[in-house]
Amino acid sequence: MYGWIWQRLPGSIYARAAAMSGLAIVVAAALWFFVFPWAASHLPIDGSAFTG
Amino acid sequence: MLTAGVITLLFVCYLVWGSGMRAASAQRAFASELNSEWAHAALPGGPGGSKTSLAASQPALPERFDAVTGQPFAFIQIPAFGKSWRFALIEGTALAQLNVSPGHVPGTQWPGQLGNFAVAGHRVTSGNPFWSLPSLRPGDLVDIQTELNDYTYRVIGKHVVSPADLGVLDPVPGDPGKQPTQRLITLITCDPAWTGTHRVIVTGVLVSAEERLCTAGYGSGCPGASTPGQPR
Repeated sequence: MYGWIWQRLPGSIYARAAAMSGLAIVVAAALWFFVFPWAASHLPIDGSAFTG
Repeated sequence: MLTAGVITLLFVCYLVWGSGMRAASAQRAFASELNSEWAHAALPGGPGGSKTSLAASQPALPERFDAVTGQPFAFIQIPAFGKSWRFALIEGTALAQLNVSPGHVPGTQWPGQLGNFAVAGHRVTSGNPFWSLPSLRPGDLVDIQTELNDYTYRVIGKHVVSPADLGVLDPVPGDPGKQPTQRLITLITCDPAWTGTHRVIVTGVLVSAEERLCTAGYGSGCPGASTPGQPR
């Protein structure tokens, strides 16, 4: 997967490395701020206590 | 495979710190909301505003609670957890509330009232507010500061129940319909940590209720702040 992306990135090795890091940061941020909060609310950890 | 591992690791980091950061900023917002509300009420003419005496204890003032879901109404301090352990209490215990603060179980009594004041909080995530709850022992104190009063409860017992055991929320726990004669607090969190299979219940009984001697900026330098009238 990474090789596939790497081959399709233009520019020098440095530009490619920078683009890869940029992508990684964007993906990590998306996970941290959107995916993880959603996933955490679906975990069976500390379910809503006695709201029944 | 490696990617999945990294993402899982990142997710665990999120659960431990990320959700805590969100809860911590919510706690700061609640604290400043309470402090400004309470400071406003303490202006001359307001309750407590004309008080000049620094006597050790004043009887509690009658108090009405009308916090709506998600709104803060008190602070909780547990000296056994350390001086810096303090959380706002908000109304409601749905996940939306528990994810930012320990909450008052709707329908149970309010601080100082006859019956059962029930508070639930996360054991892990969201700042881990009740991480140490199972370590409380009989005799430990739980302080609740509201706008007007300072309520001190003393822990009398601890037990583990199933999440379906709603009897612990009754005015007389486990005895629905019975007329309460005690003023109890019930602190609730998950057990074992990281699971939702059981609940730890810590019960306390009111040992003192006093008017708060200073309303704004509760904490260091506030007379009577760290010495509730009752000895341990």
